[in-house]
Amino acid sequence: MGKNISFFKGFVSLALTCASVITATSCSSGGNIENGGTKSHVVVAGSTSVQPYMEVLAEEYVKFYPDSAVDVQGGGSSAGISAVGSGIADIGMSSRSLSESEVELYQFTTIAKDGLALIVHPENPVDNLTLEQIRDIYTGEITDWSQVSDQFEGDIFPITREEGSGTRSFFEEFVMDGQRITSKAIVQSTNGTIRTLVSGNARGNKQAIGFISLGVLELPGQNPVKGLQIGGVAPTTENLANGSYELFRPFLVVVGEEREESTHFIDFILSDTGQGLLEARGLVRIDGG
Amino acid sequence: MKNFKEKLSGRVFLTLALFSILALAVITIFILVQGAPVIGKHGFAFIAGTSWSPGNGEFGILPMIIGSVAVTLGAAVIGVPIGICCAVFMAEFAPSLMRTIFRPAIQLLAGIPSVVYGFWGLLFVVPFISNHLGGLGLSILAGSVILSLMMLPTIISISEVSIIVLPSTYKDGALALGMTHWQTIRSVQLPAAKSGIVAAVILGLGRAVGETMAVIMVLGNATAIPSSVLEPVRTLTTNIGIEMGYAEGEHRQALFATGIILFVIIMILNISAQYITRNKSKSLKIK
Amino acid sequence: MPKLSPRASKRNSVNVSTKKAKITTKNLNLYYGGSHALKDITMEIPECAITAIIGPSGCGKSSLLRQFNRMNDLIPIARVEGEAYLGETSIYGKSTDVVELRKKIGMVFQKPNVFPMSVYDNIVIGPKHHGIRSKSALNDIVERTLNQVAMWDELKDLLHKPGQELTAGQRQRLCIARTLAGDPEVVLMDESCSALDPESTMKVEDLMIQLAQKYTILIVTHNMEQAVRVSDMSAFLMIDLDDDDSARKVGKLVEYAPTYDMFTNPTDKRTEDYITGRYG
Repeated sequence: MGKNISFFKGFVSLALTCASVITATSCSSGGNIENGGTKSHVVVAGSTSVQPYMEVLAEEYVKFYPDSAVDVQGGGSSAGISAVGSGIADIGMSSRSLSESEVELYQFTTIAKDGLALIVHPENPVDNLTLEQIRDIYTGEITDWSQVSDQFEGDIFPITREEGSGTRSFFEEFVMDGQRITSKAIVQSTNGTIRTLVSGNARGNKQAIGFISLGVLELPGQNPVKGLQIGGVAPTTENLANGSYELFRPFLVVVGEEREESTHFIDFILSDTGQGLLEARGLVRIDGG
Repeated sequence: MKNFKEKLSGRVFLTLALFSILALAVITIFILVQGAPVIGKHGFAFIAGTSWSPGNGEFGILPMIIGSVAVTLGAAVIGVPIGICCAVFMAEFAPSLMRTIFRPAIQLLAGIPSVVYGFWGLLFVVPFISNHLGGLGLSILAGSVILSLMMLPTIISISEVSIIVLPSTYKDGALALGMTHWQTIRSVQLPAAKSGIVAAVILGLGRAVGETMAVIMVLGNATAIPSSVLEPVRTLTTNIGIEMGYAEGEHRQALFATGIILFVIIMILNISAQYITRNKSKSLKIK
Repeated sequence: MPKLSPRASKRNSVNVSTKKAKITTKNLNLYYGGSHALKDITMEIPECAITAIIGPSGCGKSSLLRQFNRMNDLIPIARVEGEAYLGETSIYGKSTDVVELRKKIGMVFQKPNVFPMSVYDNIVIGPKHHGIRSKSALNDIVERTLNQVAMWDELKDLLHKPGQELTAGQRQRLCIARTLAGDPEVVLMDESCSALDPESTMKVEDLMIQLAQKYTILIVTHNMEQAVRVSDMSAFLMIDLDDDDSARKVGKLVEYAPTYDMFTNPTDKRTEDYITGRYG
């Protein structure tokens, strides 16, 4: 009997030890930086909106050039730019244009254009909204289509992305002007699901409004949606390129001193392969190709 | 030698059994350690707070608690009456041919993966609600409909067994008193099977509260407190499901804290079910 | 031959034959699928008396008892031929309402089957379903029936106690009270004492004799001494070769007579063999 009790005690202490060990090791925040030790090593840091695309580029780059290593980190556009300044990062990522002081210190290259399209059902007669109207819809101030159109009435169902989404922060920055998206908005986690909801055939779908990356507005094989004009300007790649469409932000890479490895990587990003990768993920390429 | 084998097998079984307790302990301690800081910091405001906005540092989960309660209760309102009626039908009225078809059919219902339920809900239930009842269809109602289907096998099979194991003398006695079959079921058998049926319902509720995949696609995931069953909502489970992938720091800890709350709710439900059935088996022993 | 007790010897055929027939059967037959459980049972059961059905195990005593309140209807393979009457009303007639029939013919089972509810609720559940709603009427029924089974004093302050917490003897008497609540004309008792200890058995037997003043009692018992102690009439059933088809076995009513006569002077040899213990 005594043997069984001490056996049990041993087990309990083993259990607690395991639990604490597992807990301790996972308590550390994610993303340890490894020093590569390989021949070519590039550190990229900055905007979390650019980050997912940069990670895809990095992955593909390493396949072409197996001797290289590319580390991609977040931290935000400003943090990325100053990391280049202090030498911590080789390349900075930014989803905003550089300020005057930054322009003097760094060189930048636009690698893609990101646009935001507001979409509604093709049968929705509304074609055009102002930025203020969209904001009011998303704050819950405007709740009925009749308040923005005399051809359509019914409840408006705004749809948004989840809080951690880069697309959502784009929307919040450019449209919301500091106000919060209403907590009544429906939350979906991909461009695809928002598009499906807005293009659906049930009665409610025709009253929905959502936002997606402009690059995926026209996708072959998907149900059609209507991209709204913002202040009269249509959400096309041309209007994005010529700057007339408001909901636009450039994705930039920023460098300090010239480094051969950084340049090589940036050339890859600007190449047809790199640009193709970005386009496939909903961005607008800058080479017009 | 035989003695050694006996002892060895005993030790092996003990070890394996302790491993499952170990797993439970590891998970529990992990969740507690990760989530406790948030509860410690925000205290009551965590559970009672009405605003969930991690970007702004707000971590009130009251809308999700209300969401879980609303969707689960809705599922119960739909599923419990149907389930009990089916159980009564199978135990008391169905010819044996029907029973041999129905029972496997109900087990099949239990075997459908929850993501398939969710998908079906999205393609069928949601548009139906939108077209005939209003709103976008992504709603408490959609979630309740799907969860009620998922609860049915549990409720039906356990309730049916609770009725079947009743001594047939209850039924004989009631009929001999001049009660009709239906009166016998309603006034003698169902009350006698009550604890088994209640346990069945609670187990079904426990499953519904913990369900994520089936409902994440049809609830709409809005963070507001809903004001009607046609409005979108988030449950404790879907809140974790949606945001876990990218949550960091305090946000992630808040999701673990949500997990703690869920844990507590489900433990309470399971313990209630066990407590109720423990009483039941006691009372059957009296005779 | 079991010795006749003083109670039984006082009952004599003259006394019983002055009573009217409460239940009459004419060539009543019961089949369970292919088996002929009861063949051509013809008897008249006197009112306000105790009739005992006796016989070896498995001979169909309970089946015969259950014929009278149509509990055999619950068995899908059971089939009935012949006639049975409660007074003037046909038991198996096409227009007979079984629910009404069972109000008039009550049944007490072998094992006490008290419902899982209070003493009070057990007794009133029948009357409630027959339309009696008034609290005072229901209270009266509870008092009357508990008095009839001599349990009013011991239970009047315990009416809300769960019925299943009573002793076995008390539970069986509660079941009898429950049966009496509907004010039946006949009470069927299927081996109602076999699950009880001797002291409780005595109480129930006394109860039977008391109740026989007002109700017609029909009991099934495998205990011959009990039959002798309480019954006025005895019916001896056994399974034997069919007179019409000697390859088959059927259940027969071998002898039916006042108890005193049957036990002192049985007319059929098979009865005598059973009573003296040669079989069964």
